[in-house]
Amino acid sequence: MQKLTISALFTALIAVLAQVAVPLPFSPVPVTGQVVGVLLTGALLGSRAGFLTVVAYLLLGAAGAPVFSLGRGGIYMLTGPTGGYLWGFIPAVYFAGRIIEKVGQPSIYRTSAAMLTALSFIYLCGSLQLGLIMRYNLWQTMLTGVIPFVPLDLLKAALAAFLARQIKKSLQQNQLGHILK
Amino acid sequence: MSRSITLGQYLPGESLIHRLNPRMKILALLLFLILLFSLKTYGGLTALFFIALGMIAVAKVPFRYFLRGLKPILYIVVFALIIYLFFTKGGVVLLRIGFITVESEGVREGIFVIARLFTLILFSLLVTLTTTPLSLTYGMSYFLKPLRYFGLPTEEVAMIMAIALRFIPTLMEESQRLMRAQVARGADFETGSIFRKAKSLVPLIVPLFVSAFRRADELALAMEARGYRLGARRTRMYEDLIAPRDWAVLSFILVLFSAALAFGL
Repeated sequence: MQKLTISALFTALIAVLAQVAVPLPFSPVPVTGQVVGVLLTGALLGSRAGFLTVVAYLLLGAAGAPVFSLGRGGIYMLTGPTGGYLWGFIPAVYFAGRIIEKVGQPSIYRTSAAMLTALSFIYLCGSLQLGLIMRYNLWQTMLTGVIPFVPLDLLKAALAAFLARQIKKSLQQNQLGHILK
Repeated sequence: MSRSITLGQYLPGESLIHRLNPRMKILALLLFLILLFSLKTYGGLTALFFIALGMIAVAKVPFRYFLRGLKPILYIVVFALIIYLFFTKGGVVLLRIGFITVESEGVREGIFVIARLFTLILFSLLVTLTTTPLSLTYGMSYFLKPLRYFGLPTEEVAMIMAIALRFIPTLMEESQRLMRAQVARGADFETGSIFRKAKSLVPLIVPLFVSAFRRADELALAMEARGYRLGARRTRMYEDLIAPRDWAVLSFILVLFSAALAFGL
């Protein structure tokens, strides 16, 4: 039961973090806190609850609630050229969760590996859809949809890894650690 | 934001498109998108574009809502134009500035891709603008039902969505409250390098997440106390039925498919 409510709260948290967004002038995809929320979901909730969280988040957005970055929402966000970056959240969270949940207290290396796996799934799905809809070749896709975002996303992954540890520590102090189990 | 959270971008109306069954609308959107991406010629694309415009006219949705929906993809369009105009070669040279040339093949390809993108957004927006989020959610969960056999609990996902909608405004408020609390303690969110800004978010996000965990814990207890059980069968207040008009729309799309096949569009 707590798994269900915590998934719901995390869906809301991703939506709140997604409102922290900086549009970039040189590329179509804005930099958002969305990814930090998604990475934290994978790191804290594990594969199953994380998966349900992200599916619920994407469906909410598709149904028109303004939960995506910059208060956007609607099916066209998923079917449009940047939709792949959203679809990618599903495998990203699932596999990040799988990597992290194997051990009780993941090391910093394991956490980083999980974050990087998640990021590569987001990029894979995102650039695939961007490239297919806009009929770009590999180089054009990399140039518009991947390369400009890698440095910032690495920073976000580091932030998410650090936050995940801090949040876990804080939960233990507040006697809330039992929800994660 | 809290008002638009529940309403989404829905514009109330009584048109034929508004009254279609949400399941049929989602299916129709899917079919239109498949058709759109299988079209190879300008003729077919133009025809489908005008069908989209015709449906917008039937729905009586003011066109400015569509223009607003097209705004987020403006960057992508500009970028695509640059890429196609300057990097796709072939055909006649239309413009020459030093060693940079614009050739007709690039213009042709670029306009085709952008027209297709516009049509894609028009169809998707039409569904978003004429359907309430609630019925769209029901429609989508209907198509997700088969995934139950792969272990996706669709009822749980629907419940997660409902609770999340309820808590987004609460957490928004909470994050603003936390921000003010940290500013009162001397935190600075405005200045500094990107690393400093990222670091200043930590004392904001950690308590936000911890309080979310606490709320989830309490909510689970409250739901259990009121007798909510996972996996129990729920009934719905409104039945949704597939009407003849829904079948008419489906057959119209099938006609379009066969036309596209027959004329090689």
